[in-house]
Amino acid sequence: MKQGDKENNVQAGNGDGIIVLKNITKKFGAKVVLDNVSLAVEKGKTTVVIGPSGCGKTVLIKHLIVLLRPSSGEVYFKDQRIDDISERQLNEIRTHYGFLFQGGALFDSLSVTENIIFPLRQHCEITDWKKVEELVKSKLAMVGLDGYQNYYPANLSGGQRKRVALARAIALNPEVILYDEPTTGLDPIRSDVINELILKLQRELNITSVIVTHDMTSAYKVADRIIMLHKGKIIADGDADHIRNHPHSVVQHFINGKVDDDDLAVLRMRGTVSQAQFLPRDFEH
Amino acid sequence: MIIGTVGAKTIGGVSNMGRFARFAWQSMVASFRNCLSPCTYPLIWTQMNIIGVRSVPVVMITGAFVGMTLAVQAYDQLAGMGLEEHLGVLINISVVKELGPVLAAVMLAGRIGGALTAELGTMNVTEQIDAIRSMGTDPIRYLAAPRVLACLLLTPFLIIYADLMGIIGGYFVSVVQLGINSRAYWSFSASGVELWDVAIGIIKGLFFGVAIAVISCYKGFTCKEGAHGVGQACTEAFVASFISILALDFALAVIFKSIYNTFWSLKSLI
Repeated sequence: MKQGDKENNVQAGNGDGIIVLKNITKKFGAKVVLDNVSLAVEKGKTTVVIGPSGCGKTVLIKHLIVLLRPSSGEVYFKDQRIDDISERQLNEIRTHYGFLFQGGALFDSLSVTENIIFPLRQHCEITDWKKVEELVKSKLAMVGLDGYQNYYPANLSGGQRKRVALARAIALNPEVILYDEPTTGLDPIRSDVINELILKLQRELNITSVIVTHDMTSAYKVADRIIMLHKGKIIADGDADHIRNHPHSVVQHFINGKVDDDDLAVLRMRGTVSQAQFLPRDFEH
Repeated sequence: MIIGTVGAKTIGGVSNMGRFARFAWQSMVASFRNCLSPCTYPLIWTQMNIIGVRSVPVVMITGAFVGMTLAVQAYDQLAGMGLEEHLGVLINISVVKELGPVLAAVMLAGRIGGALTAELGTMNVTEQIDAIRSMGTDPIRYLAAPRVLACLLLTPFLIIYADLMGIIGGYFVSVVQLGINSRAYWSFSASGVELWDVAIGIIKGLFFGVAIAVISCYKGFTCKEGAHGVGQACTEAFVASFISILALDFALAVIFKSIYNTFWSLKSLI
């Protein structure tokens, strides 16, 4: 299928994905954050959603698990509509998902072990604690943090927190993992560790992944498919090569990290730096 | 312009009340379900320790000062009429029926309500509540219900502590400091304070406890982003709890008075 055809298909919401968004619009008050977005997330593939800050990436990913309900449109998980069901019914559906939040969202009052067994405690009857310990050990080994079982989130670095959060996200062996800016705030080495982990999970567990990021290095490394959001709409959809060669100027400005004329116009409107010298002359350190 | 602003504020207020009512209902249902589910007992036990056990000293201090202050303030009034031996009735009925429950509840609203809102508000802004939902768990059942149950079950006990210390404080000032006859003090107290008076003070505690917990949890769950949002939610939680305590106290006073007039007088017939 040609890339152009694929974009048209996705826009029409005709994909046979594990998660399908159809004509999703989300408004907060008068502000439209997602504008008639349709998307089919393919099973076993890694889909990366890119876009500038504030374009609606996090809102989009939260719709995939119905942490936010759309103002209009439909959300399907395995052909079952899930945006109009009760929270109690959703809780069962959500056990098929793992979600890595931007800041990790580890529970401060619980140790690493307690954080990882949290979903198990909620959904499984734990009878054999030795097995649970082994499971925690194996999940932590997958993210390279075996031995940190008794640490608390406050004692971990930012990268370690994200890895523990990832271990928690895979505790119930989910079919889909949603990553909200997994490499934000990490140094390049730690970012690459997270990228390798995403690839490892993809390889070993054949998990469907959706990653929201504005880190293009990470996007190119892990993506089977990249989608670009701009002002609440999907403006580009395809593999890494398709995105690299996309004709849309906004896509090119974003992936190359260059400001466009609009951004520069805003800077010019605010005057020169010398005009902004508002501090009194005697204000010196 | 003015009509539009007033209309928008009215709609906002009504929808906010609706959201709160829904949250309160869900919390009560979740609390009931938690009671039937032994696996949630450790969560309730932990909250009982934080909310109840650790509040005992501050509530006892509050109660003691209430009793002592009442004794000092009322002594001159009664002594002027030669009724100083009736001081016990005045102090003890005020403490067990009104001041003990209300001031203990206000103290709890400050100590527990602020802490609950700050804790849940921080969990909200750091996406921990979303994380709970994403793992297929109802955050109201996991976070709010144990706190509501702990407040519901332990506020009456804390009020008993406040009453006890109020009675002791009042006795200490009246008898030891002001020299009222101890036997007369207790005999007038016994004749003036009925079991009914003690009971309504304790029953009020159930309502105050639920109001404090539900308001504080709601404010935490709905707090806005950032440190300012959490701080504002804590302030709003305390103010709303305080007003609710006073409003509930008035409503319950009216209701209990009607009940007393209707049924308590029948006691003598039995």
